[in-house]
Amino acid sequence: MADLTIALAGNPNVGKSTLFNALTGRHQHVGNWPGKTVAKQEGKLMIEGKHLTIIDLPGTYSLSAHSPEEEIARNFIVCGRPDAVVNVLDAANLERNLYLSAQILETGVPMILVLNMTDVATARGLQIHPEVLSTRLGIPVITMAASRGQGLGELKRLLATIARTPREAMLGSSVCA
Amino acid sequence: MTSFALTPSLRMTYASPIEVELTRLSEALGHCPDLVARYPMRWLAIQLLEGDTLLQAEVERLGGSVASEALAASRMRLETHYGEDLDVAMVDQRYRFVHDLAAQALTRPKTPSLTMSDRVDRIVTNRWLGIPIFLGLMWVVFKLTTDVAAPFVDWIDAVLTGPVSHWITSLLSITGLSGGWLESLLIDGVIAGVGGVLVFIPVLFSLYFALAILEDSGYMARSAFVMDRLMHRLGLHGKSFLPMVVGFGCSVPAIYATRTLENERDRILTGLLVPFMSCSARLPVYVLVAAIFFPTMAGLVIFGLYLTGILVAIGLGMLLKRTLFGNELPTPFVIELPPYRLPTLRNIWHQMWERTSAFLQHAWTIILGTSMVVWLLLALPVSGEGSFADTDVDQSAFAAVSGVMTPVFAPLGFGSWETSGALLTGFVAKEVVVSTMIQVYNVPGAEEEEVGATTIGEDLLAIGGGFLSATGDALKALPSIIGINLAAEEDEQAPDGLTGAIRQGFDASSGGHGALAALAFLVFVLLYTPCMVAVAAARQEFGSRWMWVSIIGQFVIAWLAALIVFQGGRFFL
Repeated sequence: MADLTIALAGNPNVGKSTLFNALTGRHQHVGNWPGKTVAKQEGKLMIEGKHLTIIDLPGTYSLSAHSPEEEIARNFIVCGRPDAVVNVLDAANLERNLYLSAQILETGVPMILVLNMTDVATARGLQIHPEVLSTRLGIPVITMAASRGQGLGELKRLLATIARTPREAMLGSSVCA
Repeated sequence: MTSFALTPSLRMTYASPIEVELTRLSEALGHCPDLVARYPMRWLAIQLLEGDTLLQAEVERLGGSVASEALAASRMRLETHYGEDLDVAMVDQRYRFVHDLAAQALTRPKTPSLTMSDRVDRIVTNRWLGIPIFLGLMWVVFKLTTDVAAPFVDWIDAVLTGPVSHWITSLLSITGLSGGWLESLLIDGVIAGVGGVLVFIPVLFSLYFALAILEDSGYMARSAFVMDRLMHRLGLHGKSFLPMVVGFGCSVPAIYATRTLENERDRILTGLLVPFMSCSARLPVYVLVAAIFFPTMAGLVIFGLYLTGILVAIGLGMLLKRTLFGNELPTPFVIELPPYRLPTLRNIWHQMWERTSAFLQHAWTIILGTSMVVWLLLALPVSGEGSFADTDVDQSAFAAVSGVMTPVFAPLGFGSWETSGALLTGFVAKEVVVSTMIQVYNVPGAEEEEVGATTIGEDLLAIGGGFLSATGDALKALPSIIGINLAAEEDEQAPDGLTGAIRQGFDASSGGHGALAALAFLVFVLLYTPCMVAVAAARQEFGSRWMWVSIIGQFVIAWLAALIVFQGGRFFL
């Protein structure tokens, strides 16, 4: 059975743990202070008969290994061979969140962008164009309001597609040993 | 779906001199199979040019001199363009890339509106109002955990010592096992020990309720921000405060939360300070002792203890920063303030339940285990005429073991074997201090008020009625949080067996200054090692050397602080 490993990465406090709980049905303590998830958490999800392991990485602003959390996140993304990284972003603070995305992009790992908290962004009068990001970066972009359960279905459908797709089609070059 | 590619098709390009070197460097590194097997080459080259020391060491180890020379050569060539600031240039270019990307993907409103959150923050994180607001909120939390929870504490206590004990005794007499050591184990060991701690569930429940609201509303992150200014002036890092706030709940996650600190020394320093923040397990001890010695101002005493914890932590932090941990470049404090949100009931309930059930699990394992050990030691006679499970507690093995410690605590006013024993078991977990105290001060016979035989129906009715009246009392106590006292002053009841025994015990060991000794005892409980799990966490995070520094340091500080309270207080009174 082809198991898949999906890592959730993003800045602190963008709703990674909420998404993790929604995906895996686990009840990891969800808090809004940085440093809550200090080690990576693991949960399982079954989609279309495939076992997906979801890894919730500690929230970081960058992948430069300045703190133990950044090191954990970086090591997993670069050396943990995740089949895909789901990069969760706070849509209301898109620019700051995209810095980490740019760094993940540089690792060449397969990735999906999840623009979370779109409800907050909309309330602030921000208009997000996910299709622009998707076309420019060439990767799937999903909009979401995880606390209201919006966008979760779409992410699950995307994960199902990943589970069906042969690994070689997604992964260009090999990563770490 | 036509195409399905997850690997990004867009590559972020740096300025051409950097790109040239990236290509050269990744090619040079590509000759080393060990590196190729481990890292994506372009990524590795980027990190190396940016000056990542961890990866540079890795490259030197795996790639040898060829790789290091290639890196040095690339850096040298780039120095003509960027001088010493190559890393800054690269980060800057990345920001520019991100800025362009965001500009295309985002339409901002013409006039950015000041959100509700911003408006609230103008007040809450205000330079002058921030700290008073923080203290005010803390005060509300302690009123909630003392006054509002108190009626429920009494209710659970009544249920456990009344109907539940009664049921166990009847059950034992039906099976013909009454009067023996089994009854003693169940009543004096399990009910007195574990039950004594379970009584405080309402206290913890209300604390967890308050913490959940503070956290979910977004205030918790602000408290760190508010305190940063103060902390900074004291020479500490603002980020240190957040693990400390977490420490109000439990020291263990707080110790792990120090990982957010980038500087290793700041991290260890914070790890040493976190245990001084009064964790929720200490609260039952405060409530028990404060209710006996300071019934009219228990809330104030408890608030004072929490404040003492913070002050000791900050004071010690300043001291250590200027001595052992000095001369470090300060790293800037950046914290994201989440927007204020109305906490959802579901989330709050979830957190309360999760933490309370963790506590219950604790009760069934560590507290039950320790209570049984204490019971066993209490049941074993080492002198006198008693036999197993029928001995005077003074002549038990527990009294003998704890007695060894009494000289240490004598100058602090609580040098009795009872309190020494409670503090000894308190190393395991702080709730155990309560269970041990109830066990050792449990005067046989005094507690058993002869009640006429009741049926289970009557018992259940009494339990239900008790709960309703407790709820009523708690509601009446709510306005007292802001200083309005609705509840009529309760007639001070004659001290029951336990209260009387504890008061007598402290009076005897302190030469008549029972209340002062009790305060010193609470200060000691506040400051010494929180529990074994926290010790294990400290060891895992900082190594065993720092773990010992932490254990011994806390003991010395706790001892000195309790000494100051008791001897100083005696001098003035």
